[in-house]
Amino acid sequence: MEQKSGQQKDLEHRISLREILSWLSLVGFVYGPLDERLGIRQALEKALKKPVPHHVNWTFCFGGITFFMFLVLAVTGILLLMYYRPTTAEAYASVVYITNEVPFGWLIRGLHFWAGNLMIIMVILHMLRVFFYGAYKSPRDLNWIAGFVLFMLTLGFGFTGYLLPWNQISYWATTVGTEIPGAIPLVGDTLKYLTRGGAEVSQTTLTRFFAIHVVILPAIISFFLAVHFAVIRRQGISGPL
Amino acid sequence: MKKKLISRRILLNSSLFVMLFGFAVAVFYPVVRFLWPPRDAGSGGSQTIFIPLNELGVGDAKMLRFQGTAIVVVRKENSVYALSAVCTHLGCIVKWERENNRLFCPCHAAIFDLNGNVLGGPAPRPLPTFQAKIVGGRIVVGDA
Repeated sequence: MEQKSGQQKDLEHRISLREILSWLSLVGFVYGPLDERLGIRQALEKALKKPVPHHVNWTFCFGGITFFMFLVLAVTGILLLMYYRPTTAEAYASVVYITNEVPFGWLIRGLHFWAGNLMIIMVILHMLRVFFYGAYKSPRDLNWIAGFVLFMLTLGFGFTGYLLPWNQISYWATTVGTEIPGAIPLVGDTLKYLTRGGAEVSQTTLTRFFAIHVVILPAIISFFLAVHFAVIRRQGISGPL
Repeated sequence: MKKKLISRRILLNSSLFVMLFGFAVAVFYPVVRFLWPPRDAGSGGSQTIFIPLNELGVGDAKMLRFQGTAIVVVRKENSVYALSAVCTHLGCIVKWERENNRLFCPCHAAIFDLNGNVLGGPAPRPLPTFQAKIVGGRIVVGDA
């Protein structure tokens, strides 16, 4: 009798450990209490268990990598906002402070910098893949246009973000970059004046670019990302070569 | 009773959990350290501050950090004053008003003189003062 109760205890102990582990790995929670209340298992399986066609290879990953870069940029960008100060007097000093004084500030800023550069490279690779597979053709032509808008928005992030450290290279890059629309006939000067918020690159330009970089572009790009992904889910992955 | 080893599932589950936990720590530790505001460089170490006289004109004031608090240093004709700049009422930073020869708190209009005494307003205690003197062409705040 004594031995049997010992065995039972052992079994109970093991079951509870297993339950804890499955809870901690979230599968237990999502497929347990959450499924009982929301029927979430069926919904998840319908959404996630899509068979991948045989012709899909690693070049189909570039879009996903781009989105991953976007997520990294969003998180590290929010973290950088905790210390960055968007004024001509303090912007550079605050960036130096982030890099040299704040613990792991070099890491967060470095991640933001490199993810930004890699995102543009990944967008271009993704576009090349779609182009050479002919995946831009109808019925996916509208999603190609949405993707092109996303590409432009990504470049806009790069251009506005480049000014924010307010060092020599960002100042002159913005001077040259805002000079380019000035070459457009008739509206050029007005356009240049509008983007700079004045006759030359100044505090107004920095404030403007900061607002565009951290509020306006994220809002617009979120909308186009949602559209881009919804259309992919609706139409499925494009066919083989 | 046959001794049963840990089952494969439990082993895999626990290794997965340990890996995820390690990954989460590696990601969140830098983020938490980043968000924790760093101490101001050099605020705790030095017990004495030196200010060259040409950086602070007669009748002007300078805001500094000294021994972990904000202080205001005011230079007059023949003397210098160093006081805590933290108002004893609710902790706002007081401001030197040259034309009125007083320290004024913008939050609830407490008024102090250069020795820290309360001249008006809601402040319950005088401002703490620090040693300050002119030695060899520069202002010395603190000992030495």
